[in-house]
Amino acid sequence: MTGNEGQPGGRLLRGVHRTLTGLHPALESVLAAVVGLLVGAVLMYIWGYDPWRAYWALLRGAYGGSYEIASSIARGVPLVLTGLTFAICLRGGMFNIGAEGQMYVGAAAAVCVAYFKLPPGLHVVAGVLLAAVAGAVWSLGPALLKLTRGVHEVISTIMFNWIGRFLVFYLVAYVLVDARQGQRTVQIPLSARFPVLVRGTDLSYSVFLAVAFALFVYVLLWHTATGYEVRAAGLTPTAARYGGISIKRTMLLSFILGGVAAGLAGAATVMGLPPTYAIISGLPQLMNLGFDGMAVAMVGRNHPIGILVAALFFGGLNAGGRVMQFYGSNPVPLEMVRVVMGAIVLAMAIPELARVFPALAASGRALVGMLSRKRPVEEAA
Amino acid sequence: MRKWLGLTLVMALVAAPAVAQVVTGKVAVVLDVGGRGDLSFNDMGFKGTDQAAKDFGLEMAEVQSATAADYLPNLRNLARTGQYDLIICVGFLLGDALAQAAQEFPQQKFAIIDSVVDAPNVMSIVFRENEMSALVGALGAMAAAHYGYPNVGVVLGIEIPVLYHFEAGYRFGIDWGNKKAAEVLGTKPVGLLYTYTGSFSDIALGKAATEAMLAQGAVGVYNVAGPLGIGDLEAITEFHRNRGTPSGPPYYFGVDANQDWLGNGQHGLASGMKRVDVGCYSAVEAVVKGTFTGGVTSLGLAEGGVGISKFVDLLEFIDFGISAGALKAEDRDLTIANWAVNRGTVPAWIWRAVDELEAGILDGTIVVPTADTVDEMQAVRARYTLGAP
Repeated sequence: MTGNEGQPGGRLLRGVHRTLTGLHPALESVLAAVVGLLVGAVLMYIWGYDPWRAYWALLRGAYGGSYEIASSIARGVPLVLTGLTFAICLRGGMFNIGAEGQMYVGAAAAVCVAYFKLPPGLHVVAGVLLAAVAGAVWSLGPALLKLTRGVHEVISTIMFNWIGRFLVFYLVAYVLVDARQGQRTVQIPLSARFPVLVRGTDLSYSVFLAVAFALFVYVLLWHTATGYEVRAAGLTPTAARYGGISIKRTMLLSFILGGVAAGLAGAATVMGLPPTYAIISGLPQLMNLGFDGMAVAMVGRNHPIGILVAALFFGGLNAGGRVMQFYGSNPVPLEMVRVVMGAIVLAMAIPELARVFPALAASGRALVGMLSRKRPVEEAA
Repeated sequence: MRKWLGLTLVMALVAAPAVAQVVTGKVAVVLDVGGRGDLSFNDMGFKGTDQAAKDFGLEMAEVQSATAADYLPNLRNLARTGQYDLIICVGFLLGDALAQAAQEFPQQKFAIIDSVVDAPNVMSIVFRENEMSALVGALGAMAAAHYGYPNVGVVLGIEIPVLYHFEAGYRFGIDWGNKKAAEVLGTKPVGLLYTYTGSFSDIALGKAATEAMLAQGAVGVYNVAGPLGIGDLEAITEFHRNRGTPSGPPYYFGVDANQDWLGNGQHGLASGMKRVDVGCYSAVEAVVKGTFTGGVTSLGLAEGGVGISKFVDLLEFIDFGISAGALKAEDRDLTIANWAVNRGTVPAWIWRAVDELEAGILDGTIVVPTADTVDEMQAVRARYTLGAP
C-alpha cells in the first residue's frame, strides 16, 4: 500500500477510483451511460456520421412519443426477466449466464400450448406456467452439477446454453414445426396470446408479467427471511453457513428462480410479440435476449427496480437504434448502431470493474505479503 | 474550437431539412436478420433498389433487422413517417410482419420478395426458380453423362415452398438432360442426390452434405441454401485439392447471385440466378411510372428475373464481389481465366443443349413443372424419380 504512495500515477488512479466508487450506484450507471454515449459520439464522428443528429434520432425513436415509448418498453420486457435471472443468482453468490438457454427452452415450452384448447385466460396462464417450469428444469442441470459435483456454474451454464440452443433448434425443425410453414413452429392460438396493450405497437400485457415478477423478486429478496438468507449466502458464504444458513438451499433456490425468470422471458416473447407468435427457425427473435439481460442486470446494479429502469433504457437503445438507421440524410447503419450500443455497455461495466480492482489489489498484497514473510524465514535458515 | 464545432453541427441540423426537400421521393429497403454481406440475396436486394434510386433520382434508406422482433417495428417506423413512396421487404421471413403492417397502413405501398402477401397495397414479387433450376439440372445431368459420373447433387435449406420450386425444376432439368444425353451419347440416366439441411445459416451442414454427395459420385452440387454454398464450395475445392485437379468435375452450381467467381472462379461452372435486384428495381420502377398495383408479379426467364449465368453476368458480379471486398481487384483477370478454363471442360454440345432448353422454355414449347405444397412436390418426385427406388 505504501509502495506506490509517492507515485503521482498511482495517486491519480486511486483518486479516479475513489470518485467512481464513492458515487451512488444509480449515479454510476448514469455516468457510465453518458461516457458510453460520448464514446459512441466520437466513433460516429470519426466515421463521418453526425452524432448530434444520430442521437436526436435515437432519442426521438426511443422516447419521442407514446408509440415510441411503448415500443421501447416492449423491447425491454424480456430483458427485465433475463436480467433478473442474472441478478438473482449474483445476489446468491453465483455467476449464472444460463438465461439464454433457459429462455429458449421456456419459449419452446410455451409454444406447446398450441396443442391443447383452454378458455382464453387459462390458456395464457398455462403457457406461462409451462415456460416457467421448463426454464426452471433447464436451470436444474447446472444447479445440481454445482451442488453435487462442484462444477463451476459459469462453465456448466455456458454448456447448457449450447445444449438448449440445439435442442430447441431440433424441436423447432422437427417436432413443433408447422407443416405448412416449415420456417417456423406452429402458431400460438389467439386464446393463449398476451393481448396487445397499445394498439399499433408491440407492447402487450406481458409487460405486467415482467413488472410483477420483478416486484416479487424484490419483496422476496429484501423483505423475507429466505431472501435475507440468499443475500447473506451471496455476500459471505462462510459467515452465512456459520449463521445456520444452508448454502445449498439458497443456491438451488436462486438457480430455480432464475430459471423461472428466463423461462418467462421466452414466454413473453413468443406469446406476446406480434405478428408471428411462433418460434422461427434459427430462433432469430430470441437470440441474445439472455446475454443482453446480463448487461441490463449490470446496469441495473442487480436490483429488481434498477433492472426495470435499465431495461427501459436498453429497450430504448434498441428501439431508437432502429430509427437511427433511416433518420436524416446520412443515417447510421445498423452495424454502427450496435458499436455505439457496445460502447455504452462497456462503459456501464467499468464502475463494476472498478470495484473488482480493490479485491485484486488485496489478493495481490496478500500474495506479496506471503512471499515476503517467507523470505525472512529463508534468511533465518 | 469545440464551441464552433457544436455551432456548426447545430447549423447543419437546422439546414438539413431544406436539403432533403430537393429529392423528389424516397424508397426504403428492409432486410431480414441475414443482413448485408451475403454476396447473394440481401446484397442483391440492396443493389437493385440502390440502382433504381440512382436512376430515378430517389433517396434510399436501408434498414436492417437485428432480430426477428424488429421486422414489424421497422416496417411501422418507416410507414409512420408517411415519406416513403415504396417500402421493399427483402425475404419471405418478413411476410408475417408485412401482412400486419400492410393492414395497418393501407395508404403505404409495399413490395415483398419471395412471399405472397394478399393485400391491395402490396406487390408480391416471386420468381419462377423452377425455370433456371431446370437449366442447371440439365447442364449437370449432361456433364455427368459425359464424364461418366452416376449422380448430380443439390443441397437445400429449410423445406419451404420456395425451395420446392428449385427442386421441382432441377428434377425436370435432370430428366431432360438424361434424355438428351441418351440421344447424343447413348448413356444411361444419372440419379439425383438431394438433402434438405434445415438451415440457411449453418455453413458446416452444407460442407458435410456436399462431402457425402461427392463420395457417391456427384458431378456437381447445386447450392439452394444461400450461405451454405460456401461450405459446398469448400468441400468441392478440398476434393479437387486432394485429387490434384485444377478444374473440371465435380462442379459447384451457385444460386441467387452469380456465384461462379467464388474461389477465384475455379469450380463454379454455372449459377441458377434469381435476380432479386431485378425484382426490387422493377418494383421501384412501377411506383415511379405509376403502374404499381397490388398482387403477385412472377418473374421468370422471359422477364429476366431468373437465368443461368453467362459471361456478361460473370463480369457484372465480379465487380459486385470486388466492391463488396470479397474479391481482390488484381484477381479479376485470373478469375475470368479460371472460369473460362472450367467452362471449357464441358463440351460445346452440352452448352448448345442448355441453350435449346432455354429457348424452349422461353417460347413456351417446354413447360417446367413446379410445386408449392408437399403434395405437389411428392407428385413431381414420383414423376421424376431419378434413381430413387
